[in-house]
Amino acid sequence: MANRRQFFKTLAGATAGMYVMGRGGAANLLQAQAARRQIMVGGRRMRVVDIHQHWDMALPAEIVRGTPFEEFAKGGAGLDERIPLLDKEGIDVGVVGVNDFWWYEATDRGLARAICTVHNETLGMWHRMHPDRLVGMASVPLQFPDLAAEMLQDAVERHGARGVTIGGHVNGENLTLPKFDPFWAKVAEMGELVFMHPNGSANIIKDDGLAGPGGLGNVVGNPLETTVFLSRLILDGTLDKFPALKVCGAHGGGFLPSYFGRTEIGTQRGNQKPIFKKPPREYLRSQILADTMVFSEEGLRHLVAEMGVSQVVFGTDIPFGWPVNVDLIANASVLSDAEKEAILGGNLIKLLRLA
Amino acid sequence: MNVRGRRDFFKSVAGATAGMYVMARGGSADAQAPAARRQVMIGGRRIRVVDVHAHCDMPLGDIVKGTPFENQANADPELEERLLAIDEQGVDVQALSINGFWWYEATDRGLARAICNTQNEGLAAWVRQHSDRFVAMASVPLQFPDLAAEVLEDAVTRLGARGVTLGGHVNGEDLSLPKFDPFWAKAAEMGELVFMHPQGSDNLIKEGAFRGRGALGNIMGNPLETTYFLSRLIFDGVFDRHPQLRVCGAHAGGYLPSYFGRTEVACDVRANADCANTKRPREYLRSQILVDTMLFSEEGLRHLVAEMGVSQVVYGTDNPFNWPVTVDLVLNAPFLNDAEKEAILGGNLMRLLRIT
Repeated sequence: MANRRQFFKTLAGATAGMYVMGRGGAANLLQAQAARRQIMVGGRRMRVVDIHQHWDMALPAEIVRGTPFEEFAKGGAGLDERIPLLDKEGIDVGVVGVNDFWWYEATDRGLARAICTVHNETLGMWHRMHPDRLVGMASVPLQFPDLAAEMLQDAVERHGARGVTIGGHVNGENLTLPKFDPFWAKVAEMGELVFMHPNGSANIIKDDGLAGPGGLGNVVGNPLETTVFLSRLILDGTLDKFPALKVCGAHGGGFLPSYFGRTEIGTQRGNQKPIFKKPPREYLRSQILADTMVFSEEGLRHLVAEMGVSQVVFGTDIPFGWPVNVDLIANASVLSDAEKEAILGGNLIKLLRLA
Repeated sequence: MNVRGRRDFFKSVAGATAGMYVMARGGSADAQAPAARRQVMIGGRRIRVVDVHAHCDMPLGDIVKGTPFENQANADPELEERLLAIDEQGVDVQALSINGFWWYEATDRGLARAICNTQNEGLAAWVRQHSDRFVAMASVPLQFPDLAAEVLEDAVTRLGARGVTLGGHVNGEDLSLPKFDPFWAKAAEMGELVFMHPQGSDNLIKEGAFRGRGALGNIMGNPLETTYFLSRLIFDGVFDRHPQLRVCGAHAGGYLPSYFGRTEVACDVRANADCANTKRPREYLRSQILVDTMLFSEEGLRHLVAEMGVSQVVYGTDNPFNWPVTVDLVLNAPFLNDAEKEAILGGNLMRLLRIT
């Protein structure tokens, strides 16, 4: 499946030059020997543990030679440079996983086993070198669920792995298919934590990508479309070109306002060449509006906190049978009377020129 | 996108909602005893409630005869039933909009203009009969941006439309393309509110969907994949089959916890949802699902903890990639006590990963 690899390469390429350490940055960190940050809470030193640490581990060339995976013999730097970074950021324990899952494409059980064995042995070695600073999450060949179960047990018992890391799909297959139950059963039986890391939704951005139980074509597809639509209006400069434009997104504006941090920070990353003029939040709080279809007081509180009262307008989705939110707003403990009136009607009375 | 694709997709979305009309069909029997109109009061004062998100259809008759859109000839707006529903719900004014956007596929300008004119005139006639209860948002043929601008102006100035409704794309094209600027310029110049309604992301669930500015393959593709993955574990019953399972989603669990309302009610309101889960989705969110802290704002973290509970949130940095490190965000969060800060920064993971 060339797609996953190409897709991941695209993602990886997009982050080139963003390694905080390694290459340029590592030298500085190592030389400076920054003091280890000690995190205190209530005057007491506590331990900080980080679940989300990547490692692009190099593989011995002989394992992948003559396979479609030769490029992965290269990998990135080792973990030597990770310790100064942990020190600097006050992280006591880094939980490291190999999260790109390209080995799910290996069709040979022996090859798949060999790749994950190297991962788990190497992570185990780093854990033994720095037992108080690094732990590894197991890599497993999830395309062979029985083998994945076996290797998880081996990684935990023999190499001291803590938990297991997986992708969001195996070559496009949902992990809820019964064929994957042997893996889930083993994880549950052992009580291991599963850390899932995505790789850009390659399994979803395809025809019928939201098929199956749960009505996700609607439940996820609708907010997704709105999220991308509103994002494009910001990112492509449309809202700058037309500063008088006011655009209201259905269903609480999709995911955009409720999960705005990634959009906001994403535009500040080094690989971005933004053409829009203002911080993204300024558009969210002026030209973008959203309806109230979030169905919980906490969801509404959050929407208002992110956007401001002036940007939230009442919406029911009538005649479809979603819960109607009048009472949610009328009873919201977080809103003043004037704010309730603005959201239920005042904002729209102004925007739609109702007498 | 092929023409059939969108139509079939919309039909399946529509079909998916069969039997879900709040009014009409089954439900209208109850409505025969007209419920009293609800008067919404705030602070002892009657206020007006206005609804921006109200779907309807308009029959098009002969206009679509012999075209691929014949199934719209006898569309039923069901507007009489709607008055009863909004009375009961306390909605004073609805902004009606026709949100199928199937007419974006019409390749003939005359046909596209005729469809939208008929819709706008039909809505205007309805609004004139109930001028205190309804306003209409304009339908426009966005596949012809200049014509869309013209139809918008006509709908507002001649027919009294308020604002304009559109889809998230035009036959797969992003609306931020310069070709659509004539439409945006007109909407901005007139100061008309634009109400965007999606149709299930059929422009995005295809290869290459996250092209373009903003690295959306990462910024959105990653949270999307996680959202979908965790949703599948809930709705396909995996958490029920394996109640000991604990799954942590990267990047704050994607969109799922931060936008949980739609997921929480999905099985209640989607007749076709075919949910295998035996508990409320929120119960899994607060027990078997965990997420990292990659949210980057105090308000985002507050919301995450409120939705999931302190026990389900664990510290994560995404090292060695250069996202902001959030240890201070947690340390300084005014809504967390010291024990909660310690749990999120380390205690939860020390237990889950057996770190001594």
